[in-house]
Amino acid sequence: MLLRMLRDGHIRLLSAHVANKIAAGEVVERPASVVKELVENAIDAGAGRVDIAVTAGGRKLIAVSDDGNGMGRDDALMSIERQATSKLRDVDDIERIDTLGFRGEALPSIASVSRFTLKTRRPQDESGTEIAVLGGRLQEAREAGVPPGTTVEVRDLFFNVPARRKFLRAYQTEQAHIRAVFTLQALAHPEVGLSLTADGRELYRLPQGASLEERVRDVFGEEFRVGLRPVGKRRGDIAVTGFAGLPNVTRNARGEQYVFVNRRPATAPVIAYALREAYPPLDRERRPVVLLFIDLPPDQVDVNVHPAKREVRFRQVAEVREAIIAAIGEAIGYRREAADSATTGGRLGDASLPAAAGTPPHTPAVPAVPAVTGPGGSTHAVFPYPGAENLPEAATPVPAPISPDPPTGRGLSLLPVPESGAPWRWCRLLGQAAGRYLLLETDDGYVTVDPRAARERVLYERLMEADAQGATAAQRLLLPETVRLAPADAARLRNHLKIVQKMGFAVEEFGGDHFIVEALPDLLGQVPCRALLENIAHDLESAGARRGSERWREEIVAKAACRAAAGAAEKLTQEQAEQLVSALALTRMPYTCPRGRPTMIFTSYRELERKFGR
Amino acid sequence: MKFSIPRASFFEGLQKVQNVASNKGSLMILQNALLHAEEGRLCITTTDLDISERCYVECEIDNPGSTTLPVRRLAGIIRELDEGRILFETDDEDVTVLQGGSSFFKIIGLSTRDFPPVPIAEGKFSYSIDQGVFREMLRKTCYAVSQDETRRVLNGVLMAFKDGKLTMVATDGRRLSLVEQEIEFPAEAEIEMILPVKAVSELMRVLGSEGDLKIYSQKNQAIFEFGDIMISSKLIDGVYPNYRQVIPASSEERVVVGRSALLSALRRVSVVTTDKSNSTKLTFSANQLVINSNTPDVGEGRDTVPIKYAGKEISIVFNPEYLMDPLKNIDDDEVFIELNDGHSPALIKCSVPFIYVLMPLRIN
Repeated sequence: MLLRMLRDGHIRLLSAHVANKIAAGEVVERPASVVKELVENAIDAGAGRVDIAVTAGGRKLIAVSDDGNGMGRDDALMSIERQATSKLRDVDDIERIDTLGFRGEALPSIASVSRFTLKTRRPQDESGTEIAVLGGRLQEAREAGVPPGTTVEVRDLFFNVPARRKFLRAYQTEQAHIRAVFTLQALAHPEVGLSLTADGRELYRLPQGASLEERVRDVFGEEFRVGLRPVGKRRGDIAVTGFAGLPNVTRNARGEQYVFVNRRPATAPVIAYALREAYPPLDRERRPVVLLFIDLPPDQVDVNVHPAKREVRFRQVAEVREAIIAAIGEAIGYRREAADSATTGGRLGDASLPAAAGTPPHTPAVPAVPAVTGPGGSTHAVFPYPGAENLPEAATPVPAPISPDPPTGRGLSLLPVPESGAPWRWCRLLGQAAGRYLLLETDDGYVTVDPRAARERVLYERLMEADAQGATAAQRLLLPETVRLAPADAARLRNHLKIVQKMGFAVEEFGGDHFIVEALPDLLGQVPCRALLENIAHDLESAGARRGSERWREEIVAKAACRAAAGAAEKLTQEQAEQLVSALALTRMPYTCPRGRPTMIFTSYRELERKFGR
Repeated sequence: MKFSIPRASFFEGLQKVQNVASNKGSLMILQNALLHAEEGRLCITTTDLDISERCYVECEIDNPGSTTLPVRRLAGIIRELDEGRILFETDDEDVTVLQGGSSFFKIIGLSTRDFPPVPIAEGKFSYSIDQGVFREMLRKTCYAVSQDETRRVLNGVLMAFKDGKLTMVATDGRRLSLVEQEIEFPAEAEIEMILPVKAVSELMRVLGSEGDLKIYSQKNQAIFEFGDIMISSKLIDGVYPNYRQVIPASSEERVVVGRSALLSALRRVSVVTTDKSNSTKLTFSANQLVINSNTPDVGEGRDTVPIKYAGKEISIVFNPEYLMDPLKNIDDDEVFIELNDGHSPALIKCSVPFIYVLMPLRIN
């Protein structure tokens, strides 16, 4: 076989037709990719409105029409030639791409695998051009009366590529992909009016000239914005704007992470990394909801990594990473070091990284992205999640509800420090549900608190703080308790025994794999010794996998200990519950437990009203 | 079943037992009280399967029988009725008609067949003690019971009938409270029982201040009979740790201090303790005790209490809650604190046979 291939006369230059089909394999993966390419072309053509219609999940028809610049007859014919583009002129341009497309592959690729029609007219021309292509072969090019702009119709996609057609999924699946593409484009270009019609039914009609915030509302609905905080920060050349969900608003997998680099939906390893670092540790499978726009000079980013341009590369990876971490940290009031080390005092103020020289420390919105803030420049009016932004107003505390307190709850004002990031301005404990969850009433909604996760968070921060101050008080036990660990656990604990002891656990080796516990940090309360040591040893195993602060050992020990200690009785008295809620509000990161599970779930009254159909 | 009963005593009986019946839960029958009229008495029983409670109320019976009714609803009705006698009649379908004054109620009950069996007050051995004394013993010990659910045996109060004494002990591994009372029982009746904390609180709620209390021991179960009430409770299975070994055999120093003066000083000073830093330092010197709490970022509190003491100066740090607990639950004017040094366990004693062992905090 190999020999036969090496014989002369077997290597031939592929015809343009075949080359296009191959390129189509890369660019046109499925109907949704056609939608993406055509919409991007429309936007690059300066369209103010783009209307998309699909039938049968895009297999029968994909039609995209815009009111953009249109093309003359020659340009129109040129556009279906491979590597023909209006977007690049010379090789230098590829270093500073500011259009969405540039490769000159999209139209010829699509045209080579479909029955393709292009109708276009420049506004200044009297008549337009209509071109028909069948499986990559030009059938007809004629003058036609068409509205200004460009309309592309793609019928019977992959009709000549049976292999690819076989791999298409059910109509619904393809349609879901199209919707996802549409959503991304709609978010990336809020100023462009977009509509999507599927099988004659209009799914979206998004108005032209919207702000990002309006666009988010139109695409996801009112409720999506609850729990999101506006992000707006510039560091040097890099602007990060958009919205970031609070750490208790998480989803499985990355379904609701929308990241745009220079308005192009994009991923990059560094973005995923920065998002992980910007948030407190979340439960393994959970991902925060983010809608981020990263804008930077075109020569700082290489979009020519992937034919579908899904992945980008940054020239200054570290700067991008730091910009994202700082921007999100500022939005959600969290910074890794600040949250975990015991530096008392400022949190939000300190949380932003030092701004680059010449840039004001808090540049709220960046011109590259349309108004992040609401009409009056007030962000919190639109984002009703009670939180830090609201605090300045709290100088005049909101009066307690006028109605008399219900018999189950006492008034409870939780606003001790104006600087603090308390998740609510005031709240009132309504009671305990299922003998477990605490229900709180706040300004904008009700909050369900998991007392166990809350206790873990509270204990964790206290323990870390006490350790940082070197002031751990260890309560001695009446009878030292001996615990025998599994050999592997025992070895790990032995290696880190010094740290454990420093944190107020009087644990000593007691021969073999036995350990003897003589005293425990007083603030942990009653904690089962065996579970405690097992947790610590077990968690030390996975340590180091995650690059962290220099106190990572202490963090692990504290997390493991608090996990064991928080397991105690869940039924709380009124007084205990109020203490816990107050203590939680005072923590640096009240929204998650140290392991990343949410401590509270917020439900806005607006959502309730919607559900009750009011 | 048909009987008539004075409203007041019926309500009193229901109030005594309704605490045990569950509020919610999957078993409907546990929300009900078993009512059984026989031989001039109405017997009202509730149970949550761990604890059962029964009381007797005198009534005039026309027709003996039994039924079960939702106890909280029944108590709610009886509470609101006018003073006087209530006529109570149940048909074969467990539908009960209540009439009192101008009121008429019809309540649907459940069959007695489904009501769990409740133990009867009998046992191989029984022990006799005054109700008030027993309740005091519970009060002096039960606050030290452990909340740590992984150590089941510590989630109750130990009652040891041994050497002609009833010894009660509770501990959470950090402090231990112990109280003793001499009572009479045959040597072969020596036994240890661990009474769950839930039964302890129910007993403390219902026990009177005087009158005889009889305790019966059965397998995994203890039964308390007093006045017209009977409470039975499952026991915690297991062996209580050897508490004797944590009580220091001797102490070098002994301090005499006024109980209420010490308690109020601790209360005052602990205002500046927080959950973050819950430690209070006690410095004993000649006839003076200085109590000191210092919390970074919060402040400092200091108080001085006169004591009778002539020994060496000792500084020792405690969790103030642990120190206040026994002081709140004993009534003596003076208490004795026995110490060796700043890092050994301290003892608190009073005139009755009561011992409280408390481990100090160790500050890094």
